[in-house]
Amino acid sequence: MTGLAESKNGTGREATSNVREPSGYRGKLFEWLLIAIAVAYAAGLLLAPLVAIIVGAFGEGLRAAVKEISSTDAISSLKLTLVMAVGATAVNTVFGVCIAWVLVRDNFWGRRILNGLVDMPFAVSPVIAGFMLILLFGRGGWLTPITDALGVKVVFALPGILLATIFISLPFVIREVAPVLAQVSADQEDAARTIGANRLLTFWHVTLPAIRWGLLYGVSLTFARAVGEIGAVLVVSGGVSRLTETSTLYIFRSLDDRNYVGANAMAVFLAALSFGILMVIEYFKRRTEQTQTT
Amino acid sequence: MRIRTSHLTAKWGLISIFVLAFAVFHQGCTGGQESGAGKVTLILGAYTTPREAYGKALIPAFQAYWKQKTGQEVEFQESYQASGAQSRAIIGGFEADIAALSLEGDIDKISEAGLITHDWKSAPNRGMVSTSIVVIAVRSGNPRNIKDWSDIAQPGLDVLTPDPKTSGGAQWNINAVYGAALRGFAGVPKDDKAAAQEFLKSVLRNVSKMDRGARESITTFEKGVGDVAITYENEVLVARQAGQQYDYVVPRSTILIENPVALIDKNVDKHGVREAAEEFMKFLFTAEAQQGYAKYGLRPVVPTDVSAEALAQFPKVEDLWQVDYLGGWKKVSSEIYGPQGVFSKISEELQKSR
Amino acid sequence: MSSVPANLKGSPAVASRRVMLPWGRWGLRLTAFLYLGFMVALPLATIIRNGFADGFTAFWADITNPTAFSALKLTLMTSVLITVINAVMGTLTAYVLVRFHFPAKGLFNALIDMPFAIPTLVTGVMLVALYGPQRAVGGWLNAHDIKVIFATPGIVLALLVITYPFVIRAVQPVLMEIEKGQEEAAYTIGASKWTTFRKVVLPTITPALLTGGLLCFARALGEFGSVVVVAGNIPGVTLTAPVYVFGQIESQNQRGASAMSILLLALSFTLILTVEWMQNRNGKSNVSS
Repeated sequence: MTGLAESKNGTGREATSNVREPSGYRGKLFEWLLIAIAVAYAAGLLLAPLVAIIVGAFGEGLRAAVKEISSTDAISSLKLTLVMAVGATAVNTVFGVCIAWVLVRDNFWGRRILNGLVDMPFAVSPVIAGFMLILLFGRGGWLTPITDALGVKVVFALPGILLATIFISLPFVIREVAPVLAQVSADQEDAARTIGANRLLTFWHVTLPAIRWGLLYGVSLTFARAVGEIGAVLVVSGGVSRLTETSTLYIFRSLDDRNYVGANAMAVFLAALSFGILMVIEYFKRRTEQTQTT
Repeated sequence: MRIRTSHLTAKWGLISIFVLAFAVFHQGCTGGQESGAGKVTLILGAYTTPREAYGKALIPAFQAYWKQKTGQEVEFQESYQASGAQSRAIIGGFEADIAALSLEGDIDKISEAGLITHDWKSAPNRGMVSTSIVVIAVRSGNPRNIKDWSDIAQPGLDVLTPDPKTSGGAQWNINAVYGAALRGFAGVPKDDKAAAQEFLKSVLRNVSKMDRGARESITTFEKGVGDVAITYENEVLVARQAGQQYDYVVPRSTILIENPVALIDKNVDKHGVREAAEEFMKFLFTAEAQQGYAKYGLRPVVPTDVSAEALAQFPKVEDLWQVDYLGGWKKVSSEIYGPQGVFSKISEELQKSR
Repeated sequence: MSSVPANLKGSPAVASRRVMLPWGRWGLRLTAFLYLGFMVALPLATIIRNGFADGFTAFWADITNPTAFSALKLTLMTSVLITVINAVMGTLTAYVLVRFHFPAKGLFNALIDMPFAIPTLVTGVMLVALYGPQRAVGGWLNAHDIKVIFATPGIVLALLVITYPFVIRAVQPVLMEIEKGQEEAAYTIGASKWTTFRKVVLPTITPALLTGGLLCFARALGEFGSVVVVAGNIPGVTLTAPVYVFGQIESQNQRGASAMSILLLALSFTLILTVEWMQNRNGKSNVSS
């Protein structure tokens, strides 16, 4: 009972944030065992495979890996992925904030439906998302007559990839902004309105600063999701290299080309990019949690 | 963080988003299909296996030829995926000008969808542009001592073959096994349909992974999965060129794989590239092109087109037959791969027993 | 808060009544409806129509044919399995993170969200790179005839990686809120660690555990990118429902693909709605990833 003794007749301070086990040495050992299990599980599940692709990418030397990642095909695929991700993120951010606003601030009959629709992309397997676009815009699709008249190719072309990317990354901004927005008191906005600010000014100067961390958190999640998409683009893009081949499709194809250095190098690159985005996500998440608890 | 901006910034933000979206859509409309005065673009939709043949030999040769003939640059956009998947993509909206697939049936599907309006089989060699045979790839040194089809039905052997739903190569493979059994070369009585089906079943029971396409299947084999892989001969030859070390066994009886090419009228006319496309089609049947195919492991359609030394890499087959033996592709498509077909029935039975 | 600029337009009364298109209330609603209608409702409608194009009997046949059914069974079984594993390991990891101190804990905490950021295809490639027969670990496994890659364990591994953070992130905040006093009180009356956990901690975290578990399950149902690389495509053994749908799309069986898609969709959606309902009961307002 050493721990309890300390807290009882010690300096009267609270026990530390560690819960002290009843028995000293055995308890500590058990504690370390649990930590070891948790860390070993994470290491085996997440880290070991990561190490494996790093070995696969640099197995023939740094130069070989760099050569692969800087090939025309690889660079084009990266450019396409980034353009698609930025485009999808931009669209989902603008409309996402709008939808979050409607969900939180507006109380009307259609809210439940909107809420359900927002959840849909989470429930849909990515291949199904791509398939839905094929049904809509492919040969014999509902919207194909319209796009044909406009001369726009959707499936097996860039607009299709963009639409697929927008779909699968749709809910993040809304789901991260809505709770934060709900906490922003409507009073502040009303106050701004009473001194004459119009809606847009109110939004820009009062609301946006309040929700910014939640918004940025949602934006970074959207971006990460968009970069990593494979299922939907596999169905909806033609996989034509340098034109409709994203980075994930490039990996897919490299495995076919027996270009294992290239596939692993791109995988490592995307993993590193994801890691960077992850750090950004963690930062914004922490700021969001801070503002929520204050 | 103080935001000292006016709502103009919001407006500009939105405008730039729409500009970006527009740019992307614009790319989608016109990107890569500029057929201006200086350049012609041809889109090739092919199956997985001849990736190297087209990419490294035939397309560069044609580009040189075209430049010399007309002074124009011809740019190729190539897509390689499993034959069935590629066919599906072209029917679904992928605007390939030329389809080079593994199965006649996959080209027929495109034709039935109204995209090919001429009789593509009226081209030289019935539209067939290359051939190969079905072989059994084995590990270096043939440790399991595989000599013929009967050896791959043995219990406990791990066999690779692709998924016939998507892969043309898979259908060639299954036809080969089934046909060889029917012809009496698999250790079961000749012309005994039931026995042949049992034999096919015992082979399929050994299959541990069914990849989407022939290329994926052989690369899985190269990754160390499986004891043997049923595959195209030219896949193995190309793999050897890429540095892979393994052997292949030519069964006594196997099917002649014939691969078709067709011009897709609808897309060619839409893109306005008919002249170049037709020239490319003609080019594929020339001796130069056949030599190019042979360089990457594909047997020529017309043997005399190819040099003797190129032919030397192809072993002779004792009993080489074609899909006509099984009744032709139309019959095979329903009898073997249809919903009540041989393969579907075997698949179901195997599932029940797993 | 930044100050409102002085160049306001018009008098207060007029300004507040001024409707600025498209920022008016109805403008926003319309935008929301149009956007979600086009991006979500329309694709949904099209796939439902496609799946039921030949009536309910055909739909039922599409999802109960042996291949489809075995794919569905495999998906459900693997998803249940990983949910159970995640429930145990996730709770343990959350407990370790909240209760104990150890070096690099902060880094570990940040890395937990890794599967949210990494492309699923990269996950699949990583697993093949590690467990493929020609690799160090894979070679050893192969020599001992343990099949991981291109066998069911491979699928389970991939799903475990993808769903790793869900339970942890669901349980963590709840654990943090449990007053240390409650646990300590249990010790003072002589309860063992396990009893304390069972009687004090577990009941409190159960709602969060359920939420996290359901999210795991829903996520695993639709997983494609990692499974397609790591699985063998053999019905009943390594063919999952999403990969089955992919195969059907590829072989132009659109109705079959739609039918299975609708089923998967309906299942996942129900789960997500359940999660939201549970979270609403517990005071949170939205599903956050």
